Amino acid sequence: MAEYSVVGHRIPKLDAREKVTGRGMYAGDLRMEGLLYGKIVRCWEYAHAKVKKIDFSDARKVPGVVKCVGSKDVTQRPYNTTIMKLLVPEVFADVFGEIADLNIFNPVVKHQGDAVCGIIAKTEEAAERAAEKVKVTYEPLPIVMTAAEAKRKDAPQFTPLKPGNLAADFPEAFFPGGAYGHNTPDGKTPAQHMKEADLVVEDTFYCPRQKQVQMENHTYIAKYDDRGRLTCWTSTQMPKPVQNLIAELFELPLTRVRIIQAPIGGAFGCRLGMIGEPHACALAMAVPGRPVKVEFLREEDWVASESRASGHIRVRAGFKKDGTPVAIDADYEVLKGGYYTHGSGPPFCTAAFMYGMYKWQAMAMRANIWFNNMVPYGAYQGYGNPENTFAVEQLVDRACNQLGLDPVEWRRKWHKGIGDDTWLKGVKFASCGLDDCIDKATKAIQWDKKKKEYAKMKGTKLRGLGLGVMQHTSGAWPMLLEYTNTIMRLNEDCTVEIMNSCSDLGTGGHTAVTQMAAEALGWPMDDVHLKCCDSDCNGFDIGAHASRTIYCVGRAVTQAATRLKQELINRAAKNLQVQPEDLAWGEDKEIYCTWDPAKHMNARRIAKESIYSFDDPATGKTIGIPGQIVVTGDDFVKHCSPPFSASCAEVEVDIETGEVKVLSFVNAHDIGKAIHPPSVEGQLEGGSQKGFGYVLTEDIYYDKNGLCLNNDFTDYKMLGPSDMPVDMKAILVESAPDPLGPFGAKSCGESALMGPIGSVANAIYDAIGIQINEAPITPERVLAAIRKNGGVKK
Amino acid sequence: MSNSRILPEFELLVPQSVSEAVDMAAQYGDKAAVLAGGTDLLIMLQKGSATSEYVIAMGEIEGLDYIKYGKADGLRIGALTTITRMVDNNTVKKNYPALWQACKQHSAPQIRNIATTLGNVMRASPSGDCSCALLALGAAVMLESKNGRREVPMDDFFINYGKTARKVDEIAVEIVIPPVQNGVVSSFMRMTRTNFDLSKVNVAVQLDLSGKTCNEARIAVGAVAPTTIRIKKAEALLKGVKINDALLEKIASVVSKEIKPIDDVRSTAEYRRDVSAVLVRRAIKACL
Repeated sequence: MAEYSVVGHRIPKLDAREKVTGRGMYAGDLRMEGLLYGKIVRCWEYAHAKVKKIDFSDARKVPGVVKCVGSKDVTQRPYNTTIMKLLVPEVFADVFGEIADLNIFNPVVKHQGDAVCGIIAKTEEAAERAAEKVKVTYEPLPIVMTAAEAKRKDAPQFTPLKPGNLAADFPEAFFPGGAYGHNTPDGKTPAQHMKEADLVVEDTFYCPRQKQVQMENHTYIAKYDDRGRLTCWTSTQMPKPVQNLIAELFELPLTRVRIIQAPIGGAFGCRLGMIGEPHACALAMAVPGRPVKVEFLREEDWVASESRASGHIRVRAGFKKDGTPVAIDADYEVLKGGYYTHGSGPPFCTAAFMYGMYKWQAMAMRANIWFNNMVPYGAYQGYGNPENTFAVEQLVDRACNQLGLDPVEWRRKWHKGIGDDTWLKGVKFASCGLDDCIDKATKAIQWDKKKKEYAKMKGTKLRGLGLGVMQHTSGAWPMLLEYTNTIMRLNEDCTVEIMNSCSDLGTGGHTAVTQMAAEALGWPMDDVHLKCCDSDCNGFDIGAHASRTIYCVGRAVTQAATRLKQELINRAAKNLQVQPEDLAWGEDKEIYCTWDPAKHMNARRIAKESIYSFDDPATGKTIGIPGQIVVTGDDFVKHCSPPFSASCAEVEVDIETGEVKVLSFVNAHDIGKAIHPPSVEGQLEGGSQKGFGYVLTEDIYYDKNGLCLNNDFTDYKMLGPSDMPVDMKAILVESAPDPLGPFGAKSCGESALMGPIGSVANAIYDAIGIQINEAPITPERVLAAIRKNGGVKK
Repeated sequence: MSNSRILPEFELLVPQSVSEAVDMAAQYGDKAAVLAGGTDLLIMLQKGSATSEYVIAMGEIEGLDYIKYGKADGLRIGALTTITRMVDNNTVKKNYPALWQACKQHSAPQIRNIATTLGNVMRASPSGDCSCALLALGAAVMLESKNGRREVPMDDFFINYGKTARKVDEIAVEIVIPPVQNGVVSSFMRMTRTNFDLSKVNVAVQLDLSGKTCNEARIAVGAVAPTTIRIKKAEALLKGVKINDALLEKIASVVSKEIKPIDDVRSTAEYRRDVSAVLVRRAIKACL
């Protein structure tokens, strides 16, 4: 393996110090001259209601109120928070049924927390006090919470654009039979194959509505300045797409919209597309010349910004006696929430990741996505994959158990690998390190030894081991646009400025991108600076989604670095009067001639003279080659290099209380090459915390009126530090470098979240012999299942 | 549910002595709320689930932050004693393990650093961990008014959810726990969704095992009724007998029958019924 001087080294994360000291300036920390405060008035008392009347008379009397902004005072253009239409060809978006059904302030409230109107005041306190005094008269509408309710003929209709409340399904034009998947070459469908299976395992799984719960609540400052430019400071994951969407919503050219990305205090997908930017910008446009700050409360963030998709997925999987996977067939009934945003996305990916994992002879998944009065789902780390993982990993273990097969060996034998289709038909895996992951994970957890030991366990506390595998993606090509533009500029002191609008969600992305640029240049980290975060100077980048930053941006910056070095060689060749191919790089930026080391010059001189290119007073000749070196790196990557992982969990189940304790956990991840290993380990550990939450504790609960019962930390429970397993290992598997990834790297962004889902669910199964088909697997569910089965099945 | 983090307007009263606080309570009666640690009250005010024209903030009163133990008097815990102070106290740890465990396991470190032990009782939440332990330990709350002091046993203290025997002109000044006797042991257990959480069920047990049989038992269970309750039928079964597994099973089934839990966002009635019985059994075993 190549030796690198920067890549793969455990250097401090670039932003570590400002984050640890708390000195990083988040959007909420920014102060500006003349700053006003905006407050969005939301509907808290209903999940579905018509806004009949808004009375600002009391609100206006609150001292400090500058303006009350009603729904008619802002643009009436409907929008969609997502960027789907920026990511796919327009015709795709149409076929997928993308619609714009959201307004800045909505005349009909479709979920609790929907925005109704706004207040602008001189202080935050005045804005909040006035917001409480706005009298909104509502006409309550019937509540739709379940798929069955949404389907009813007399159900209230969410939008005339989607009659029958079916927000989305898999369009026939792309998916014959409305199903994602493949038949065998003879045209036989999974349902037909299933008849030939020796064993069919089937169940319906409930997938919970998990919330991202990023640390920083959504916060924005917007200003419509005297030049007619609209600037928005936001911690969005996608500055360039948001710039496009804001420009479209307010009918402005891109030259008049500026997005400045503030440091991101966690995102996990919740800042993918627009959330509060339209409201902040609309309020700013109501008071031209004054910056307006809009800061969500945690409780607001919970009900007003998007969550993970939830619903019921029925899966049937057929096997031959020897374990040969015959077919898999699934139906997913998904609850959309009040608006279309991300409608087809996550369920599509549930199907895609189901397709990408195992060698089924035939596979089909259908999805029906129903509007209801929950908070709309959107993007969340894993994007559809947790649902697939929770269902399929459990069914595989159930089948292995019934067929008397070893679940470790089954996975080793039947997972997809090099040459097989990835999550998308026709795109073949170019690398696969899963076998190594399985070896390392099972070894680390002492699989064989503990398996034997635990099989004999008696008493009220039973232990079990579980394995779960997954495959994910690095960027979303060819489904989605993965374009990145990088500008690399050589400074006069021979250091480099990179301009790219990639985002760092706390993942270490900016550190890794800088490392890759430094490595490609062969220069130290200090000689490279990454300038992000301002649409006024950065070129296009689709933003941080689909775990693409290291993979796609890495490719673009290494390409730019190669071009920059070539330009330096070209200039040196001219100066030394040799051919570029005669030159090579030596130590300390020295360029020398391979056949005559006496001919050499330093890149520093080229850099300096590219700017300070005076005419020599003695000779009259121009010094150096004039013109600052500026190159670009462009990347339309034509692959998605999926990473794999294998995770093992060891749990203890208290069969009298149903409590599940994760004693140890190992996630071995096929990373290709870890550019910044501590960040990858951090991703794996952090992602696990959310994966444990998905499988063990987290779900948004609603009462019968559709009002959220747990929009705060009191009753939405995530694992805290003391809940995490003490024994946790993140293993970076680098034995399968990817031929397309920069330095062989594949993603480790979203993929970490899936690790605990299959492994913990299967470990519980191993401990008590019963599978729990609803996530989160709470003690209540475990105890009820044990009771229903008349005890454990050990 | 909330649309604001701004506290509603109220007049903040900052007494410098208990007698001043008592005067204020007499003057403002039910228009005043008493603030010690504030970890419950401020949140309730912010969320609008409590309103108050006046808030009597106890923080500046000197001499209310104490844990005193005497063989005759027992343990006395001042009104401003934080839960963290209890956790750090060896007398509490040694003599009143149920209370020490309750304090140690209660909520999160940040809250324990601010919240007071007595405040946990005054909140009268059925899930209060300190309340549960104190009820099992046979503690009492000392209330002071212009008419003097009175000591109300925990047994009579909780009237309903959020409601105590404190009269509006009284200020709670300390917790009193009888001195420990030889052979008297106690334990506390709780069930939560995560470690830093409110209890979905908690149980405290005190047993007098000074003789050959169990002389007396007190069993308190929380979050299974509008207030923390004692399971007197189960206590009676323990009195004067030797504890064995068969008896524990019987006690467990009595516990399930005696409680009135509800379904809520934290758990289900059915689950609480099952698990209270398990926890009582385990808490008794932990004492043996």
